[in-house]
Amino acid sequence: MDGFKISNKSFEFLKNIFKDYYKNNIIDLPDRFGRREFAFLFFNGKGMVRHLSFNKKIIFNKFLINRYPAHCYYSSAYYTIPDAPTMQEKKWMGAELIFDLDSDHLPNAEKLNYEQQLNLVKKEFYKLVNDFLLNDFGFNEKYIRLYFSGGRGYHCHVEDPKILHLDSSERREIVDYITGRDLKEKLLFSEKITNTRKLKSGKNVPIEKTLIMPKPNEPGWRGRISRGLIDLLDEIRMSNDPVKKLQEYGVKNNAEKLISDLSDERINRIKEGRLDQSKTIRKFFLNNVLRKTAVTMSAGETDEPVTCDIKRLIRLPLSLHGKTGLKVIPLKIDELKEFNPLKNAVALPEKSVKIQLNQKFNIIMNDEKFNLHPGENEIPSYLAVILIGRKIATIE
Amino acid sequence: MTDLPVLAKYPFLKESKNYVKENEISIDELLNDSIYERARLIGIERLDNAFNKRDVGNRALATDYDCIMELLSYPIARMITVCIGDIYFKRSYALSEAVHSYNYLINESTSNLIKISDEFKFNIKYDKNNKKFLIYFTDYLKNAPTRYSQWKMINRVMENGYISLSSKDFTRIIQEALRSRINNELDTRKCSKIINESFKSDIIRLSKLIEKHRKKIEIEPMGSLDENKLPPCMKEILKSIQSGENVPHMGRFAMVAFLNSLKLNTSEILQLFSTAPDFEEEKSRYQVEHISGKTSSTSYTSPGCDKMRSYGICPTEKMDELCKRYRHPLTYYKVKWRNK
Ligand code: SF4
Repeated sequence: MDGFKISNKSFEFLKNIFKDYYKNNIIDLPDRFGRREFAFLFFNGKGMVRHLSFNKKIIFNKFLINRYPAHCYYSSAYYTIPDAPTMQEKKWMGAELIFDLDSDHLPNAEKLNYEQQLNLVKKEFYKLVNDFLLNDFGFNEKYIRLYFSGGRGYHCHVEDPKILHLDSSERREIVDYITGRDLKEKLLFSEKITNTRKLKSGKNVPIEKTLIMPKPNEPGWRGRISRGLIDLLDEIRMSNDPVKKLQEYGVKNNAEKLISDLSDERINRIKEGRLDQSKTIRKFFLNNVLRKTAVTMSAGETDEPVTCDIKRLIRLPLSLHGKTGLKVIPLKIDELKEFNPLKNAVALPEKSVKIQLNQKFNIIMNDEKFNLHPGENEIPSYLAVILIGRKIATIE
Repeated sequence: MTDLPVLAKYPFLKESKNYVKENEISIDELLNDSIYERARLIGIERLDNAFNKRDVGNRALATDYDCIMELLSYPIARMITVCIGDIYFKRSYALSEAVHSYNYLINESTSNLIKISDEFKFNIKYDKNNKKFLIYFTDYLKNAPTRYSQWKMINRVMENGYISLSSKDFTRIIQEALRSRINNELDTRKCSKIINESFKSDIIRLSKLIEKHRKKIEIEPMGSLDENKLPPCMKEILKSIQSGENVPHMGRFAMVAFLNSLKLNTSEILQLFSTAPDFEEEKSRYQVEHISGKTSSTSYTSPGCDKMRSYGICPTEKMDELCKRYRHPLTYYKVKWRNK
């Protein structure tokens, strides 16, 4: 969230272009805006200005035009006294449930380019919203707002009045549910006795047991795991080289044996719900299914997701992201697949400017392909903002 | 007509309170009139049982008289607890009342369970076909003991926001809701002078018992940990765990990870926690081992001050000089330890 220092001319350029944006666009304020804390970062590179509150829309829009912030945030929480200087004095009243999926937090994302990173996040985001929030949690669509973050991720705000009062540890539980943490295998698969023998004493003792897995149409995680298992099995068996496929999944030594074990008859038994494979094989399947179906929100297990923080500042919808000039734009779940931030979130003018670029740079923006070389380039303003934001270009 | 045995079994119900109101029993009568002598005795009995058995105890509810005395003993016991004032005792009394109700509730019919749970305004439905209670997840989260893995939401069946529960598990939810309600009441009310006077000898007697018990706990060796050198955050969390307060997941997590970094082993950590009135060895062991990496692939690291703060478990008003100088509870402890 830190601000950044830039050349004077670049600074003037950003300042004017942001100012114009805020002059020409009315930025809607969130619900109950009078109860929220607002915070801003400016282009001057100084720290964050916090603990502000606005009670009139018009004052807020004037503020944006006069101060043209690089980044605008507001609190997901609402307070009795939003502009009090400390959290205690603010008096927390409630907060929306926020999910912030950013490629920065996804494992191995740094190896991917911008587009690939965004696709990765999109996938996780779709699962989050569709599989979990709408399905398992049954939230009404009208309470769910989705946004492109202006940077490298997506945000989801759940505004259902029923969840506003959840505390941080209760939110943590929701995150654990969605990220598949602490799923207990024992509760998922149950043992069933399939054959018994009568002892002389007349007592029946089990001689054959099978492990029963949940059915694909069961609700919640049980059905999800079941469907995931069947998909995974099909994927492996249908592939041209099942052994290789298994190896991709991380099975090292006994891939061949595993494949030969997966006879048609076996597969059918599994689909019927009987998972009497060895423990290691079961673990392997379960872990992979879990990875595929759960939502990845953070890189490590101790990297805490935003969701649990009930006093979090979040980016203001329709404001500009100071490092990209892209707009925090609302989306519908069915628009997500086609959504292309480098086209749909472009908010700044086309008007061309001359920049000094210090490295090669390729990008497709607004359907136009740019292959830029180091040195002077004349490019649209919206692209210039991104390059300045990345500190690879200046205006001289 | 009100069903007296029900009121006696569940004195926390609104109807039970109304009964006292409607019959215009004044506090003065309750404390002095010889008719209510038995209610006063049971009140004390509830507390002794809470202290010794973690259940306020069963008494015969054969006649109307039995029921009325039982019912009236409840507010008396509660008011005395407020006057005793000890946080550990408050927690264990609330738990004992809740456990006591649980033991009755577990035998109730479905319709009675639903009626009684109305008291807590849960958002629930009943699934007749599968004989399951469906509870909205926010009510579940507020009350389920999710610190135990089988109670984690992920290990439950949820559809459309409703979690399905067996009647036994639903009863447990009521127990937890009741416990936190009583805790709340005990924490917000003030000790009344008349109560303090009327039950003086019992209050002194119980306070002494509690004090003795506490001393016993404190003398027991704590492994290699010097509690006095703990940073404010860990002191707070430990105190809450030991007195059985509901510690948020993150707090427990931070505590265990912290102790684990100090090389305390599982049984030493468990020993520290074991004074909690609701301490359950098996479940706690599972948690501790999970966090310390014995039963999971990773051993979690103890969170730093920034993280502690963002989770609201750094008591900022209690921060001291050392806190300001260092940025990790572990550093705090180690520095203090070195500078004995
Ligand atoms: S500043 Fe750090 S060590 Fe001190 S109380 Fe807060 S979290 Fe604990």
